[in-house]
Amino acid sequence: MTSSSELTPALVRQGLERARYLTTPRVETVLYLALALEKPLLIEGPAGAGKTEIGKVLAEILATELVRLQCYEGLDEAKALYEWNYQKQLLRIQADRAQELAWGEVSRHIFSHEYLLERPLLHAVTAPCKIVLLIDEIDKADEQFEAFLLEVLSEFQVSIPELGTVRARHRPAVVLTSNRARELSEALKRRCLYLYLDFPGLEIERDIIRLKIPELSERLRDQVARFVNGLRKLDLRKTPSIAETLDWARALRALQITELDASGIRQTLSLVLKHEEDLRRVDGKIGSLLASSAR
Amino acid sequence: MRDRLLLFIAALRDAGLEVSVGETLDAMRAVGAIGIETATFRETLATTLVKDEADRPAFDAVFERCFSLPERERGRGQRRRSVADGEGHGPGQAGTTPPRTPASTHRRDEPRPPASTRQQAKRDRHEEHLDRRGKLARDRALTRMPFREMSTADVEACEALLEILAARFRAHLSRRQRAARVGRLDLRRTLRRSIATGGVPMDPAVRHRRPGPPDLVALCDVSYSVAVASRFLLSLLAPAATFCRRVRLFAFVDQPVEVSLERGDLVPHEAIDWHARSDFGNVLTTFWERNAPLLTRSTILLILGDARNNRRPPRADILRRCHAAVRHVAWLNPDPLARWNTGDSVIAAYTPHCDAVLAATNLHELSAALRQTFRTL
Repeated sequence: MTSSSELTPALVRQGLERARYLTTPRVETVLYLALALEKPLLIEGPAGAGKTEIGKVLAEILATELVRLQCYEGLDEAKALYEWNYQKQLLRIQADRAQELAWGEVSRHIFSHEYLLERPLLHAVTAPCKIVLLIDEIDKADEQFEAFLLEVLSEFQVSIPELGTVRARHRPAVVLTSNRARELSEALKRRCLYLYLDFPGLEIERDIIRLKIPELSERLRDQVARFVNGLRKLDLRKTPSIAETLDWARALRALQITELDASGIRQTLSLVLKHEEDLRRVDGKIGSLLASSAR
Repeated sequence: MRDRLLLFIAALRDAGLEVSVGETLDAMRAVGAIGIETATFRETLATTLVKDEADRPAFDAVFERCFSLPERERGRGQRRRSVADGEGHGPGQAGTTPPRTPASTHRRDEPRPPASTRQQAKRDRHEEHLDRRGKLARDRALTRMPFREMSTADVEACEALLEILAARFRAHLSRRQRAARVGRLDLRRTLRRSIATGGVPMDPAVRHRRPGPPDLVALCDVSYSVAVASRFLLSLLAPAATFCRRVRLFAFVDQPVEVSLERGDLVPHEAIDWHARSDFGNVLTTFWERNAPLLTRSTILLILGDARNNRRPPRADILRRCHAAVRHVAWLNPDPLARWNTGDSVIAAYTPHCDAVLAATNLHELSAALRQTFRTL
């Protein structure tokens, strides 16, 4: 495990390389700062640009556990922080009654760690070493939950009325991702470092394809990267993600297509575009996109 | 250095960015942690001070002004070079942000005139960045632009934005409705209570269903001064239709006329006298006479208007009766707060009979006001 005192930007860069995550110097700088300042990192950007991946990569760099909290509508404290294991408590009460224990004894029993169900946030706080907490798609959670999260993120402590306050021994590295489904509160933004993660651009995307699918010919790799970059400039309902680019490249390889042409694209385009109208829209433009990607 | 940073932050605030004291401290600590190497310095400040990509162009501009004086030569040289290439850069870029200083290594020793693929790629990416950022910034500016300052072109530019805002509003409503549907046994509270009875769950706790879907009645002032606001309100209300039992929309200048929204266009059921003078008193009276049965205990009554009554009687007593009949009365006022109750504005007369009077001078406020109104759902 790396402690923050010996952390350097170069170390982060090496870690990213080892984790096989290619990115821009901008992202490297921000990641280093998030670790060095021990601040939560809020990442926004288009879907599929690699936001969630950053959390995973960070865990790999720090050689530690990744705790992931996937946000959704209606997520509440009980599912994010902790919950008492009621069924087990009930059993305990009944067992204790058979032994005719006094109430004080029973309550001491049923409100102990044994009956506590740790949810991701509490788990992150009580972890014995520094871990990475990934709070994914925070924009999907309700506003009330965001307010509650604010409290946890600023203090890294959780109070459980029956047990007392639990304070984090090691501040977890926190990564929040958002797709801008709604505006996040200013208060949350103020407490975080901010990174807008865009698609990495032609060159890096090409390198990513090389890294993940080394068997692909250089020419095809170049064409795929250019074509997808061209697609992203169009006004589509859903722009292709990096993962989809990779899927597509793999499919092209599996079909033994060595040269990108209109018929090959038509055959496989549904791997990159997932909306009927997008497909129809691009269909007429394949020629011009190809021409610009053949440059 | 600290002084320069403080100057820089002051300049950011002047440029309209909100920078808190905490963020200032973060920026200082970040710079302390990473040093002031040019390549990383800008990103260091950006990540601690800019919390919305829409603010990035403004940040970049201020950064250039504050920190790149010695580098101006280089920047100018580069711009000239790109002009010499004679392609690529779209319009609108010239005066705005100077090209981002690229990551140092391959700058000096690159062959100039034949735009190598690397350079070309970098420029492509750069432009893409500008496009997306520019769009974010424009959208934000539009949602914050007061209705009364909007030109026809601005109103048209809002169309796409309205779709997004309406979709967000719809998502918000569906979220609330889903949460309300729960009416099951609440195990946690049941057990808490059962502790009082020695662990026997005598008194089950249930999460109650919230009251059913509301009826929505909207009265929108479409007189010249606030027409834009009404038009936007009606577009935003469209998704609410599926979450309400009944939706009735009325437009008025001096007479309420029922309208419907067809593909974004306002279709009045009777003729509207667009050139009449606003008369809220008459509107309320006529509405009450003709449509009182619409106002029930499950009705949300939404009124959009500046309450500028041309010195006619406000008839707030009618609004009081409406208020007594319905669940919630919300008044959205597209006038800036400072101008309420000035001149012929009689909003103060109506305020006591509303559950909420909310300012809605721009799209941002309007959608926030709507969300707040439907919180009672």
